[in-house]
Amino acid sequence: MNTDPGRTLDDLAESASMPDGSPVRTISPRAVRSAAHLLGLSLRETEILALEREIIPARYLRNFNSLDCPSQAALLRTRVALVGLGGLGGPLLEGLARLGFGMVRAADHDVFEPSNLNRQLLATGATLGLPKARAAAQRVEDVNPAVELNVRQLFVDEAGFAEFFQDADIALDALGGMASRPAALRGAALAGVPMVTASVAGWTAMAATVLPGCPGPADLFCPGGDTGGLCAEDHLGCLAPAINVAVGLVLAEAVRLALGREPQLGGPHGRMVAVDLGTMSWDRFSLG
Amino acid sequence: MPITVNCFATLAQYSPPGGQMDIAPGMTTGKLVDLLGIPRDGVKILFVNGLRVDLDAPLKDGDRVGMFPAVAGG
Repeated sequence: MNTDPGRTLDDLAESASMPDGSPVRTISPRAVRSAAHLLGLSLRETEILALEREIIPARYLRNFNSLDCPSQAALLRTRVALVGLGGLGGPLLEGLARLGFGMVRAADHDVFEPSNLNRQLLATGATLGLPKARAAAQRVEDVNPAVELNVRQLFVDEAGFAEFFQDADIALDALGGMASRPAALRGAALAGVPMVTASVAGWTAMAATVLPGCPGPADLFCPGGDTGGLCAEDHLGCLAPAINVAVGLVLAEAVRLALGREPQLGGPHGRMVAVDLGTMSWDRFSLG
Repeated sequence: MPITVNCFATLAQYSPPGGQMDIAPGMTTGKLVDLLGIPRDGVKILFVNGLRVDLDAPLKDGDRVGMFPAVAGG
């Protein structure tokens, strides 16, 4: 076996065809692992090399053609910082892994409790009482071990957000409750990182992109920085369908940002989205 | 004059039927909030035609108003 990266990958690639009949070369998860071992590279680096030769890792085949080889490789090179691994954060993390975002830093200080079971993807009978961070690490390893995940059981405080988001390409706010959200926005702004933020109450889901220095929903919800009052979810709860809508909005925006495209949920030309699943209404609003 | 009002989350209970209502010309957003019976401090963000406004914005024929309480669940 040679260890020329290109030839190694060519040897391990298989011919396949897309549903429309067009030919593609793919590489199975097992072959990616073999190539990584032979070449002394990480799984993520090996997948990038394959994509540069237009060999599609089979795990991403159904991302095509919505994501072409350069786009898929760009996701693998993208660094995401995700705060919160509960209702929003669990499925966001899973979505990042399935899409093929290559580097994820994540944090949550909490453990799973029974009231999480209605909506939190990583909350199961088996994970009750366990740290959300531990369940997250296991899930990513199960779903996509090419993701280089740095996950910690950590409460990110006011001073910690800027450091947490530092050097990320995209910040994701998946916090539950208002208390830390304004601080997370400030931290992302200090770190100079665009933040995609989502929140849910009952059947309502909202998502917005906040570029550094621009106002975000949490700033408007908490005039004067007062985060003390009751929020809508304290009365309405958080329902899984609204969570799922919010997660889809955030993931689609994260892909756009990773590919260097204009944000659609904020920024100079974008607007936040609010969806009410009770009335099946969809509205766009400018926070500027 | 007709306007459309979309109240989200806890404010949904105050939405007019079908989201449609008739108001007097020149009514402000604050007066609309009062007319709907919503406590003013319960409205955290107000939009008219997709743009953020305060409680003193005058409304026009056909405006589309959106109202939000604080929403932070996850």
